[in-house]
Amino acid sequence: MAPTLGKRKRRTAEATEDNREDDGEGSASLELDAQEIFRRHFEAQFKPLPVVQKTVKEPEEAPPEDESEEDSEWDGISEEEETTVQVVEHVDAHSQIAAMSKEELKVFMSSKPPTAHAKQPLIRNKAGTATEDDDASEAANLKKDLALQRLLAESHLLDSATNPTLSGNNRHKATDLRLQALGSKISILKQEKMPMSHRKGIIAKQNEREEKRRKEAKENGIILEKAKSAKKFEGKRDRGVGAPAVGRFSGGTLKLSKKDIMEIEGPRRSASGRGGRGGGRGRGKRGR
Amino acid sequence: MAAPHPEYLRFTTHRSLTHRLVLSTLTGRPVHISQIRSSSPTQTGLAPHEISFLRLLESITNGSSIQISYTGTTLTYSPGLITGSVEGLGASGGVVKCILPETIRRGVSWFLIPLCILAPFSKAPVNVRFEGDGVITSATETGDISVDSVRTAILPLYEKFGILSSKLELRVLQRSCAGPGGKGGGGIVELRFGSQVRLPKTVHMNRSPGRVRRIRGVAYSTGVSASNNARMIHTARGILNPLVNDIHVAAQYDQAPLVSSRDKSDPGAKKRTGIGFGLCLVAESSVDGVLYSADVVAPSSGGVTPEDIGKQCAYQLLEIISQGGCVTRVGAATVLTLMAMGSEDVGRLRLGRDVIGTEDVVGLGRDLKMFGASNWGLRDVDEDDSTDIIVSVKGTGVGNIGKKIA
Repeated sequence: MAPTLGKRKRRTAEATEDNREDDGEGSASLELDAQEIFRRHFEAQFKPLPVVQKTVKEPEEAPPEDESEEDSEWDGISEEEETTVQVVEHVDAHSQIAAMSKEELKVFMSSKPPTAHAKQPLIRNKAGTATEDDDASEAANLKKDLALQRLLAESHLLDSATNPTLSGNNRHKATDLRLQALGSKISILKQEKMPMSHRKGIIAKQNEREEKRRKEAKENGIILEKAKSAKKFEGKRDRGVGAPAVGRFSGGTLKLSKKDIMEIEGPRRSASGRGGRGGGRGRGKRGR
Repeated sequence: MAAPHPEYLRFTTHRSLTHRLVLSTLTGRPVHISQIRSSSPTQTGLAPHEISFLRLLESITNGSSIQISYTGTTLTYSPGLITGSVEGLGASGGVVKCILPETIRRGVSWFLIPLCILAPFSKAPVNVRFEGDGVITSATETGDISVDSVRTAILPLYEKFGILSSKLELRVLQRSCAGPGGKGGGGIVELRFGSQVRLPKTVHMNRSPGRVRRIRGVAYSTGVSASNNARMIHTARGILNPLVNDIHVAAQYDQAPLVSSRDKSDPGAKKRTGIGFGLCLVAESSVDGVLYSADVVAPSSGGVTPEDIGKQCAYQLLEIISQGGCVTRVGAATVLTLMAMGSEDVGRLRLGRDVIGTEDVVGLGRDLKMFGASNWGLRDVDEDDSTDIIVSVKGTGVGNIGKKIA
């Protein structure tokens, strides 16, 4: 049955093509076209013809098509085609089926009997669920603010080509950043204990990489950020309990460096009128 | 306890057999039931599901004895204590297994509803797992509701009696519709009833049942195209949407369960059974604890479109809502029995005229009276112009013998 059907289909297609050709070749239609061209030409030169003619023309246009179809030898099939073309539209409003939210569905389809008054969470932060943006409550604003701050602080992690999401390795980095921001002295990413040779190796490699980067940048004329110099000690060193306030106690002797002595002596004055007083002050200090 | 000649309460026919057995267990009165399908030439005596229920009763009680005559037309049951799922008394891993044979035509809710009535009066938590080739989790043509209805429409009723619904669980581990010819399925259902009480609280549900505020439901397709769910939901919503705007129906698609094919040449062979689809709708009223439920399932012979099922279910829900009252027909037995087992105080329940006028509810009243409960008092509602009836039920104060102090 199927092959015959296919044949018929092809034939009907041919038939319709024939019909169309007939339409084009039909003398009546040719005449009409000629008239139309003339009319346009006339209207372009002079003024538009009365509109009444158009309305008369339209019903004239329809019958020739019918005639041509009747004339064709495939009229039976073409008619059949006309009757069989039925547009069946299965309107399915799947999208309109408002599904329960994920939480609600979870609660409803759980094994427990549903409680009488299930509370709905006000803010859902997950990307998949609907966030209620128009919620103007203080808590919601705070939450959004925090999210924005985090995004600003951590968005550079997303630049890496290997892991452009905030998960996996980047999540740990983000956690570390947050901890640093909260005042953590140590990084969770830094391994606390390792053999000294490893540590030295790692640091050396880091330095080497940094130097290479700077060198290449310099060769290419790229200006980089300032090199972070090793932190210089500023301020007072914390001495242990019982240690001398000045100098260094070793081998049963208090050793004073030149700097210490300079500090104790105070600034040396040039021989001037005020020398005596300056010396006096120095003496006083010495006496202490 | 061991009286030489226990006084049997005598009943006839298999009508509301489960309920009589439940009442017998709760009150401790032995029963003698005769003429069970004695006039039927082909299916004489107890049916497979009734036997399974007796087995279940035996496994969750201690000291009960059941005697069945040769033809199965006579049954003698003397109840024991409801122990629940105690290790060593039939339970393994804290769960009593109830294996249903494949000849069963009733849904698992036929077992669940009476079991839930017994469970609050048990000594230990009642955990029962229904499995085997006869567990039909869907609604059935024999008039049983689906497990979803039990969970969403029956179990919440217990909250009113001081039974914590947070300790109740009904897990559907495998869904199944009725198999070929309406027989058997392959579902797995586990009931965990962890809340036991000494005496259920007295309930007063005599106020107006309120207005339907929202409708929830579950559409399930087992082993057939999941698009059936969407079609059922779409049609049901088309009918209900103009009436209530808050309608949410969850769609549940599952594979058909695998059961043994019963092929003697290949004992390890498995086949899929229990395909079908259905819809369960639950309407929640603005008054706390008033639920109306409807359940429709495609017949096991097939030939019904999902649209028809959705339409039928929506209309059935509307019919049940129109009957009014605070409790529907499916929940009436549960609520009335728990009220009768409560403290010696009068509780009130507002029921629709069409609900109380059914054979089941009237029969339940008579049975309760036989088991020593007080008569019901009936009066018309006079606050508003509805035709509802207020039933006053006096409790017997039996409660939980296992939890009795002193």
